[in-house]
Amino acid sequence: MQTRLHFAALLFTSIAFTQVAQADQLANIKAKGELVCGTLGTDEPNSFIDARSRQLVGYEVDLCRAIAHGLGVKPVIKQLAVAARIPELQQGRIDILTASLTHNKEREALVDFSLSTFYTGQRVLVKKSSNITTVAGLAGKKVLTVKGGTQEPNLRKAVPGVDVVTFETAGQAYLGLQQGKGVGYVDDEVSLLNNYAKLGAAQKDYLVLPQNISQEVFAFGIRKGETGVKTAVDQVLRGLEKSGEAEKLFFKWYGPTSNVKFQKRTFKIESDKIDA
Amino acid sequence: MFDLNFLLAGDYRDWLLSGLLLSLQLMGITLLLSLPLACGVAMLRMAPSRLLNALGAAYVELIRNVPLLAHFLFWYFGAPELLPDTWKERLYAGNIEAASAITALTLYTAAYMAEDIRSGIRAIPAQQFEAGRALGFSFLATMRLCVVPQALRLAAPPLLSQTLTLWQNTSIATVIGVAELMYQTQRVEAASFRSVEAFVFASAAYLAVSLLIAGLAALLQRKVS
Repeated sequence: MQTRLHFAALLFTSIAFTQVAQADQLANIKAKGELVCGTLGTDEPNSFIDARSRQLVGYEVDLCRAIAHGLGVKPVIKQLAVAARIPELQQGRIDILTASLTHNKEREALVDFSLSTFYTGQRVLVKKSSNITTVAGLAGKKVLTVKGGTQEPNLRKAVPGVDVVTFETAGQAYLGLQQGKGVGYVDDEVSLLNNYAKLGAAQKDYLVLPQNISQEVFAFGIRKGETGVKTAVDQVLRGLEKSGEAEKLFFKWYGPTSNVKFQKRTFKIESDKIDA
Repeated sequence: MFDLNFLLAGDYRDWLLSGLLLSLQLMGITLLLSLPLACGVAMLRMAPSRLLNALGAAYVELIRNVPLLAHFLFWYFGAPELLPDTWKERLYAGNIEAASAITALTLYTAAYMAEDIRSGIRAIPAQQFEAGRALGFSFLATMRLCVVPQALRLAAPPLLSQTLTLWQNTSIATVIGVAELMYQTQRVEAASFRSVEAFVFASAAYLAVSLLIAGLAALLQRKVS
């Protein structure tokens, strides 16, 4: 029943939308009383279907709810395919994109971005006995990683003069580190922390270097030129950061009790700029 | 668009050439180490002792019945872990990738070459051996001075054919992180997304060296017979 109502509401708003295309989208959102967020629903812990409740949940889903709450409207979560994300936004079928969307220069021509909501990247795991505590300390040292990904070029860019050895799988590179065949092992942050978690008691001999060797920034997508929406969304995000609610949400989905087990939050929601 | 030119300048060319050079080095060093080892194993199999015969046969069967890939992984990930810690650290500080690759290739190639050399020895008339012993030479001296030199001459063409196989086998070393030609080819592919060009280059390089070895084998074949 509820879905049918939603569908009717969507149909109605899309008809209304074609007539008032020039109107401010923010006024539109407030008029219809709901904020439609597009998510992936397949990217734990950003947005995924909870096995028990069969509901879409996750970090970005919670942020969408918080933004809708801040705007005084009802949140509506819509699931999208990766390739459909930007077209759905451009065609106005959703209001904002909360879909693990990487903010990069190429996309700035297509959509506007909110404040960055999540920072991730590639990290380095080292043995404590190597006495290496920074990424720069890897210069001239042997570092192991997987073949064919962006790990190797990113590492070479971050540490000129590093000696990289690559393997068919990340698992082999990780095994090589454990055996002492290199001083470091590089991988995507979430995979690396997953492997680190599996070390158990041996964790005390290892160190995840605090710096990322490359950075990937997630932000919410907003239709190009809708400055009203951007200002309102950013304002709510800033409020969430200030009240500590954003940090609470981060730890709820990425913290020590989650699968990913991030111990620290190394970013704040405060900027919508990215490095080139 | 197919365009080989981008491979022929800058970083990509340097990567591919360093890979080709390392592949050739792997082949050269392995050849130098595996030939004497193969001679030794062949002699074991011909020696006048059941125990030594069995030892030689066990070596050949053990090595030949395990895939080369498994040899590489064993000598890189497995065997060094059995060493005492201080040795291990010293080994890992060096180029453990190349060292493991050479170990795996040498043991593997020697098993096949030993069989070729044994055929060569068996092709030498038994009277040659008997004559040596009759003149008062020991088994080893007879073998070393009389039989093996003739046998190696006969075995040269099949040994060159093993060298051809060895040359192609060096490419498997990429799985343990040895930066040989295949490794560098995959690296160029990952960086440039030019799979066709990168693999055309690698194939041409493997083919060129292989043809060179095959040509040498044909030449020798004609000389020997």
